[in-house]
Amino acid sequence: MERPAALEAENITRTYKSSGRGVADVSFEVHPGEVFGLMGPNGSGKSTLLRVLSTAIAPESGTFRIGDVNGLEEQQKARAKMGLMVDRPTHYGDLSGWANAYLFARSYGMEEGKAQSVLAELFDYFGLAEYRDDRAKTYSFGMGKKLALIEAMAHGPELLLLDEPSLGLDYTSQLAYQAKIRELAAAGVAVLVASNQVDEVEAMCDRVAFLHRGRLVALGTPESFVSSLEGTRRIVAALRNPVEYGSLEGIRGVERVTPEGRDLVVHCAERPGIVAEVVAGLVDAGGDITDLAVRRPSLEDVYVKLTGEALRDYEA
Amino acid sequence: MKLNPPDAYWKKDATLFFSKRFALLIKMLYPMALIVPVAASDIPAQYAAAVIGIVAVMAGTFGAGESLTADLNDGILVRVALTPLSPRRIVFEILAVNAVLDFIQLLPALLLVYVLHLAPLVWVLAATFGIFATLITANCIGIFIANFTSSPADVLLYATAILAPLIYVSGFFRNQNPTGISATLRDFVPFAYMNDALKAVFGLASETGAAPLEIFIYPGIIAAVLAFGVCLTGPRLLSPRF
Repeated sequence: MERPAALEAENITRTYKSSGRGVADVSFEVHPGEVFGLMGPNGSGKSTLLRVLSTAIAPESGTFRIGDVNGLEEQQKARAKMGLMVDRPTHYGDLSGWANAYLFARSYGMEEGKAQSVLAELFDYFGLAEYRDDRAKTYSFGMGKKLALIEAMAHGPELLLLDEPSLGLDYTSQLAYQAKIRELAAAGVAVLVASNQVDEVEAMCDRVAFLHRGRLVALGTPESFVSSLEGTRRIVAALRNPVEYGSLEGIRGVERVTPEGRDLVVHCAERPGIVAEVVAGLVDAGGDITDLAVRRPSLEDVYVKLTGEALRDYEA
Repeated sequence: MKLNPPDAYWKKDATLFFSKRFALLIKMLYPMALIVPVAASDIPAQYAAAVIGIVAVMAGTFGAGESLTADLNDGILVRVALTPLSPRRIVFEILAVNAVLDFIQLLPALLLVYVLHLAPLVWVLAATFGIFATLITANCIGIFIANFTSSPADVLLYATAILAPLIYVSGFFRNQNPTGISATLRDFVPFAYMNDALKAVFGLASETGAAPLEIFIYPGIIAAVLAFGVCLTGPRLLSPRF
């Protein structure tokens, strides 16, 4: 028999009157041991959904359960079961990092000895041990994020809600964070990660939901999404100089052209000769190509495709 | 009992209060700087009592209101409210610890007042209790105001609007011998009882003022009711604002 969901959201709707944005009719489940990704453009409703699920705000309609606890009717019980990291974590700046984490751990009901030992382990794991007695206001943004991760994990929650957890973390810390998340998931913790770090979501998440304009437009495994894009390619051209790339979109099979720093990324259908035509188009546009790669589709392409499609549907 | 690292919300406030030494020095000195010269002068008793009363009212109202709005703006208080702690309990801890810390700030100055103006012990105790009840009431007002604004500047504005009539009714400066409805209203303001007790400490016997026993009972009841009421606002106060 399948284990009950650690998080079960049903038809969650919450709209901000001021902006009209929010989420509408969103339903999904996260199972114990599953890492579930929430992706979507800015303003798609990820943070709103996490605010509802963390019990910070009430939905206009819909409901959700954390394990066997109704998140709307038994808020304190629900809060005790979850660990939360908000997108812009704040701390008591005049308290040490350790004191901040200790206050949260005890607020979640941890015993003194247990809190001390778990926090010592996590501070060590995330490389904050030598800064534990420094005031939190002296922490860098990344250190503050790591402290917030520690505060979210320390009390051993059944469900972790993480909003853009790795944004601002250095590479080593990102790897450490991902390893810790996989370790927690292996131990049965359900993890909901709202993130636009495509590589991270693809590497870490068992399932992914895409939100666009407040609606859940797709849900599945990263593999199923990527395989749905068979027949497409991504041409990444590193350019020495910026070029006017509008003409590339006229090439048959080119779906989308997006600049990413010095790179120009061309999403296109797989057909003979298309790479040569794209390169010729770039050269004709005055582009000085320093590097060129033709890649298989990734979750990033899915992201672009889904949000693009959803946008067209919405506008239609 | 260990304060640091804090294992409860009130200990966090106490830790922060005692950890910043320069700020602590200023906090302890400014009530003395305001109150002691007044107590040592031959200013009329009712005005000396009013000065102490004003310092207590302002310290309580602005202290809680401004620190609360700062924490609300920062988002940290909303994050704390998403732990399993009851929002009402958090507000109660904020209220209680702020009132006690405000009292600690005023205590050295008060002790000097009592040394300079030897008064019967019952009036000393009544004045001390009256001041504490005032601090609870003032902190309740500050927390209540924080329900409606996230701007520390607005706290000052709203507090002035609320405190001015209460100070008038209490008879700090004017309305010292109220009659009729004004006298009835005065009975519901804890500041008035503190004012009566302080006037007695400064040697001004008042025929219309409260008796010591009343000062131990009524302001305590009023402050407790206000504290209960303001704690009920916890879920609203600590919810995110958009």
